[in-house]
Amino acid sequence: MSFLNLALMAMVVALLIPLYEAWRDEDIWQTMLSLSSISSKAAVMILLVSVLRDDWMIGVVGVIILSVGNAGFMLLAHILKRLGDA
Amino acid sequence: MDSYIYTITALLPLAAAMLVFQVNPYHALVIRGVLGAIAALVYTVLGAPDVALTEALVGTLLAITLYAVAVRSSLVFRLGVLKDDLSHPQDLTAPDATPLQQVVQALNTVFKDYYLRVELVPYFDREELSQALIDKEIHATCERGSGADDEEAISRPNAPDSCPPPYRTTTRLRRLYDIMNSELLSPVTQLSYVDLSTVGEMH
Repeated sequence: MSFLNLALMAMVVALLIPLYEAWRDEDIWQTMLSLSSISSKAAVMILLVSVLRDDWMIGVVGVIILSVGNAGFMLLAHILKRLGDA
Repeated sequence: MDSYIYTITALLPLAAAMLVFQVNPYHALVIRGVLGAIAALVYTVLGAPDVALTEALVGTLLAITLYAVAVRSSLVFRLGVLKDDLSHPQDLTAPDATPLQQVVQALNTVFKDYYLRVELVPYFDREELSQALIDKEIHATCERGSGADDEEAISRPNAPDSCPPPYRTTTRLRRLYDIMNSELLSPVTQLSYVDLSTVGEMH
């Protein structure tokens, strides 16, 4: 129980790294990379919380966010790529 | 109550502040995705998986797609050109770029600071081009200087008289003219501003 709590705290600290990278805006693709990193990390944190609380409902939400986040990321990347070509 | 809830909840105002203080619209779009992911995490941890699912599906996926379409279609500078001048529209960075390509490149450099895209709209002849400017289909025209000066056009004061620039860029928007007049440093084009309210009375 305590170990999982510590792991969750470490994950929050790890989430701050891509947040800082998104704040230092230089390249749009760097920001996109930090978005994908944060999205995956948030989904894994949701899965960890679901294990921590022994709640399957939360775990299902984590899995759906993990898959849907990637689909949205792909759509946004396509629009940005079209923008660079034009 | 578990202690980690407070740390995770503190991430939400952090991401929201990042979104609010972002000036570049495209970066703001991506940070909106970041905010959506963190909001879904916070809602789940606070015990509302249904709200988190809605945030992930609607808030992040649909909202980002709609915002992207809106930003892409609104932040654009439409420049009307003649079809004959567009010989090689693809290679803008080639060293032997045509004068029109140099103009477009200079405009791209100027408008990059204002997050505007330059979009070329080809027309067949000069009449169609000027009519499109009057009809407000395009923001500016760029064509070869004909020599005949309009009375209402303000020509650029520091243009050299001995060698007139081959192109003339005419805009109907005062703000765009001010931006180009102060920042566009291209010897290829001459700038002028046309007030459409006076042109409408003439026709």
